[in-house]
Amino acid sequence: MRKALLIAACSAALAISGCKYVGDDPNGSGSSLENTEFPEQVFWGDTHLHTDNSVDAFGFGNRLNAEQALRFARGEEVTATKGAKAKLSRPLDFLVIADHSDAMGATKAIKDAPRIALLGNEFLLRWHDMLNESDEGALQVTAELIDGAAKGTLPEELTDPADQAERTKDLWEAHGETVDEYNDPGKFTAFMGYEFTPMPGGDNLHRVVMFRDGAEKTTQVLPYSSQGFAGNPEKLWEHMAAYEKDTGGQMLAMPHNSNVSNGRMFEMQKYDGSPIDKAYAETRAKYEPVVEVTQIKGDSEAHPFLSPNDEFAGFGDAGWDHCNLSCTGDTKPEDYAGSYAREALKRGLELMQTVGANPFKFGMIGSTDSHTSLATADEDNFFGKHSQNELNREDRAMQPQNLGTREGRFGWHYLSSGYAAAWATSNSREAIFDAFQRREVYATTGPRMTVRFFGGFEFAEGDTADLVKAGYAKGVPMGGDLSGGNGEAPKFLISAMMDPESAGLDRVQVVKGWVDASGKSQEKVYNVSWSNADDRNIGADGKLTPVPNTVDLAKGTWDKDSGAPELVTFWQDPEFDAAQHAFYYVRVLEIPTPTWPVYDAIKFGITLADDVIRIQQERAYSSPIWYTPKA
Amino acid sequence: MPKILKEPLIHFLGGALLVFGFFWATGTNRDPADYTISVDQSNIDRLRAGWIQNFRRPPTQQELDALIDQEITEEIYYREALRLGLDRNDAVIRRRMFTKMRFLNNQDAAANEPTDAELQQWMDQNQGKYSLSASYDLEQVYLGQGGAASETEIVKLLQDLNSGAVEASDISKPISLPKNLIGADTANIARQFGEQFSIDLDQLETGQWVGPVSSGFGQHLIKITSKTPGKPAALDDVRQAVTNDWRAAQTAQQEETALEQYRSQYDVRVAGRE
Repeated sequence: MRKALLIAACSAALAISGCKYVGDDPNGSGSSLENTEFPEQVFWGDTHLHTDNSVDAFGFGNRLNAEQALRFARGEEVTATKGAKAKLSRPLDFLVIADHSDAMGATKAIKDAPRIALLGNEFLLRWHDMLNESDEGALQVTAELIDGAAKGTLPEELTDPADQAERTKDLWEAHGETVDEYNDPGKFTAFMGYEFTPMPGGDNLHRVVMFRDGAEKTTQVLPYSSQGFAGNPEKLWEHMAAYEKDTGGQMLAMPHNSNVSNGRMFEMQKYDGSPIDKAYAETRAKYEPVVEVTQIKGDSEAHPFLSPNDEFAGFGDAGWDHCNLSCTGDTKPEDYAGSYAREALKRGLELMQTVGANPFKFGMIGSTDSHTSLATADEDNFFGKHSQNELNREDRAMQPQNLGTREGRFGWHYLSSGYAAAWATSNSREAIFDAFQRREVYATTGPRMTVRFFGGFEFAEGDTADLVKAGYAKGVPMGGDLSGGNGEAPKFLISAMMDPESAGLDRVQVVKGWVDASGKSQEKVYNVSWSNADDRNIGADGKLTPVPNTVDLAKGTWDKDSGAPELVTFWQDPEFDAAQHAFYYVRVLEIPTPTWPVYDAIKFGITLADDVIRIQQERAYSSPIWYTPKA
Repeated sequence: MPKILKEPLIHFLGGALLVFGFFWATGTNRDPADYTISVDQSNIDRLRAGWIQNFRRPPTQQELDALIDQEITEEIYYREALRLGLDRNDAVIRRRMFTKMRFLNNQDAAANEPTDAELQQWMDQNQGKYSLSASYDLEQVYLGQGGAASETEIVKLLQDLNSGAVEASDISKPISLPKNLIGADTANIARQFGEQFSIDLDQLETGQWVGPVSSGFGQHLIKITSKTPGKPAALDDVRQAVTNDWRAAQTAQQEETALEQYRSQYDVRVAGRE
């Protein structure tokens, strides 16, 4: 009788929790949220955060769950896994928790599983023991996991779709409930999402997937695993289309770390090697409107090999540009073109001409890819890539990061980067998702600069006085399209304001890409506005006088009055050809500031090796505006 | 009726006697109910729903039959295993039971929507946590980066602004910051001007031009026309945060209470521990 009662109570309890959404307002409080007429405010977020549900994050020791991740992002203090108190200097406005869909929750399950349950399986038993034994053991398991995923040698228990579905379902539903509870329209937006993590041969083809919807819809599907199809992204897009059709919801996917894809992220062919056609190009552009171009594992905007005339192209490339994610494949020079976003944007224009659609028509954001549940991107408050190199690990900058076979990568190669900025009409799932969808978003490497970028044919120089109003009235914002114009060169209104908690601005640049008469893509970087304009000129080589370096490495400070608080300008393309496809995006550079290892060195009194990069210029990348010739 | 017949113990013993009598009479210790497996419509619906969730389509009749047969097979093995006592000394089952029991204890807190009164009480007990920051109506003049205006120039500017000799809009250097803020709270100001700036406002006199006040951008002159001091928040202002915190606290407390209740019934002895 007692047993029966217990079972009845259990089922009832489960039923209640399962039915929680029925009749609920899926948007939460039902408060009257007002959308502004046009995006007046920029909202800051991280779209790529891992918690203890990620198979590797848990293996690295992360014991902070989604709820703690959400609390931290909205500005509360939490205690990090390794004991340090963690708090953001300013809250974020939105967060996408993006745990790996492959083997979601699996390391946690292996560690927590009783030993006896694994007795028949030597492989998992060994991992179980290592996970419980020590941090080093757990790290080794994680390394083997990443390696196994790259080589396709993971045990069936971790890759079998049915097993995985079973394990994931409860976890995903509970996660949906937590995320819904923390979604607070108008104040803080919590998104459902996950990371689709294929890496054939160690080449990174990862995508972060983000939903517009609450748990009511998102729990009708399970996080899509890459294992069944060896990671063909076309399968992911099919899955996304099915979700949208079945539920009326919306999803988008954001490729990231193309820098460690050995040219495969933006290759000029489909996954199976067949040529790109119009349908493929349109589908890809539809489901992948945004690319994450900067994060902890390096920066994917540009590379000096591809952009030899751009003296700032090498930012965040050190350590990441000689081999793929698992470092099982060396990066050859011919691989670079498919690995960096600027080149992809150029390839997109070429494909537009040859197949009639642009598969690489994407906006750009930054995010952290932090595996600590802590979305940090400030140099002086950087909690590291994973829980073994959190803020209180003194020698983390000098530690080799030889996970799997990542030879030659050290702690200091990690960037304290980045965040996503969205020009949205309110702080809500719908408004922010829609901003991503129309690419009215931009990337920063951490500092929260405010960047506006409008293109049009009607602008006049005086429009900079009321730039936002003129921008929306007479042109299109970042992410938009221009065509027509009677052969006249497009004009742009650009403003960039410094982050009041960070450094002044060095310069604003426009990066232009176009396809020349021979069908080959070209690029050029224009300096369009800079600080101390009286003392700094563009030389015969086209280069602007560098901004003075004011960093004091012993103190971790710089001259607060150096650089410009704001740069505002009107710019018209001086080398325009109305017959050529083109794109334009803005790059904003801060004055030089110290990198995070410098703060570690000051705090812990350690000595950094000579090759550690100590000074950098943090930056923002806007989404492009595209020009299409009249048909 | 003799008083003894009203004793619950007697009822219980009587009942037990009947049960024993039944098994003695039927010659078996088999409870027929233990050997009945009924798969009712709600079970079938659950199996069907699970299938749809996984495969995005309803099962065919054949697939459904296979699911039901699998369910029956599992149930038979499950019961036979219980009879053999296979559930004992099994750490998986032990852990699973632990999880279920803990889940049951937490469920009250998690499933119930808190009433406003409960939330209000929670807020009253945690007052510091839910205060609304001060808010300001203010005007600001941007002077440029530090050193752009000398001390004497600043003194003169303040005099002129306060006497009405110059207009704020005429002397402010251009920057995309609002010249007037209406009802802006500290968080909003910190977001636009930096945290230190928002903190420094608290010390300023109201009603006249004062400064300079530093922000990340440089120096500003400020006139606070109206200041609403910080106060405890009303429930509607912070409902979501309060609900999250209340729920987390309820769950933790419920768990503690439940464990305490169970634990008090146990005589726990540990070697080497007094």
